[in-house]
Amino acid sequence: MSETVRKATTEEIINHWVLAVSCILLIITGYGFLFQLKQVYALFGSNYAMKVVHNWTGIVFSIALFSTMFSYLHEALSMDSDDWNWLKMGGGYLTKKAVAVPPMGRLNTGQKLYYLVIVIVGLGIAVSGFIIWLVPGIRTLTIVAHLIHNLCFVLFVVAVPAHIYLGTLANPGVLRIMIDGMVPLEVAKKRYPKWMKEIGKL
Amino acid sequence: MATTPANRKALLISPEVCIGCRGCQTACKSWNQLPGQKTINSGSYQNPPDLTPSAYNIIRYSEVPSGANPVQWLFVSRRCMHCGDAGCMKICPAPGALYRTNEGAVAFDKEKCIGCKLCIAGCPFDVPRYDAQGKVSKCHLCFDRIAEGLAPACAKTCPTGAIKFGDRDELISLAKKAGYAKVYGEADLTGLGTLYAFKDAPRIYGMNDNPAIPESVIFWHNVLKPLAVIGLGGVVAGALMHYVAVGPHKDDEEVKKS
Repeated sequence: MSETVRKATTEEIINHWVLAVSCILLIITGYGFLFQLKQVYALFGSNYAMKVVHNWTGIVFSIALFSTMFSYLHEALSMDSDDWNWLKMGGGYLTKKAVAVPPMGRLNTGQKLYYLVIVIVGLGIAVSGFIIWLVPGIRTLTIVAHLIHNLCFVLFVVAVPAHIYLGTLANPGVLRIMIDGMVPLEVAKKRYPKWMKEIGKL
Repeated sequence: MATTPANRKALLISPEVCIGCRGCQTACKSWNQLPGQKTINSGSYQNPPDLTPSAYNIIRYSEVPSGANPVQWLFVSRRCMHCGDAGCMKICPAPGALYRTNEGAVAFDKEKCIGCKLCIAGCPFDVPRYDAQGKVSKCHLCFDRIAEGLAPACAKTCPTGAIKFGDRDELISLAKKAGYAKVYGEADLTGLGTLYAFKDAPRIYGMNDNPAIPESVIFWHNVLKPLAVIGLGGVVAGALMHYVAVGPHKDDEEVKKS
């Protein structure tokens, strides 16, 4: 076995899967609410049961979302000229040729931006969701919260599938980071040169 | 929906004919087996002061004195308006909780209600109430009676004809023949199922001149709901196209080769 480096800790991996599963469950039930889908409601036994599942999954999602801030927020907020250049060439995703992208740290620019979007939109959908759930019947408040909740939902159903694609089909091999957290050293040197320099591997 | 203009039923309420006896409130409670409530003295005959989970309809007693008419005391029966374009049904996330009957009434099924209270936000008339079990409660136009060809309890019991029940089109022409130039609810929200024959501006009778579903709810319905489908579909299609046209990154293989 060639040498590997740890990209994600066990805590990060568990937190990610809690976030992922709760998010997908919320999206499925969310579509059920949005279009009154009887087939989706039927999965949960009764209308009321699906509401309970959606509400309590929202708590799990919110806790997992909050936990990510300790792992990535600081890194996601620190960007430099390499990030700008990475963005200008679309991270190398726009061409068939293997192109040299600017050197990246542990997170690349796309991951930083995705993370920031998820934190902001996630906060929006969580707070508005708790308002709809816990302080109902105040007309103006509900109307505003309902609008925010649904705006954030649209952003989620666009961002999340893109994230899943980039983490699986578009980049074979990276899914392993969310399974055992490891990356082969040679791959890590190519993908995260700045980070590898920091920890003395390059 | 089997509701057509031809078979749509409605109530026509004529405040000037109402004597304020509240027989409608009592008949409603009787037919729908709703518990009584302790009355509250708020300085008027109006009791209860507003719609409640066990008061599907009330008579509003409004004193609206004016120069020409120093003793103008209006009795206005208030309940669900059974809108043609119902904000409550539009925003409701639970299938079957609020539904349209064949006669055009907006009825509810407490078993299917999830108690989210979004209908309160969608209603232009502040009608839906929630019972102690957290389920929606409101006038359902006695859907069980009208399906069998009977009049709703309130209309059946009204001694003066202030609450009339019948085919919506017929009630509108009846009111026009009686000299009411404009029938409140004739065209609002694609036509209300509770019509009013007002002699004066609706606001004198405590009604909104231009009732409407909140703009944000309409925006959500017309824009955000389709976007939630187009957005997801677009990203999935985009990912597939990227996979075919550009293909995946092959970091692992490139590293192995070098």
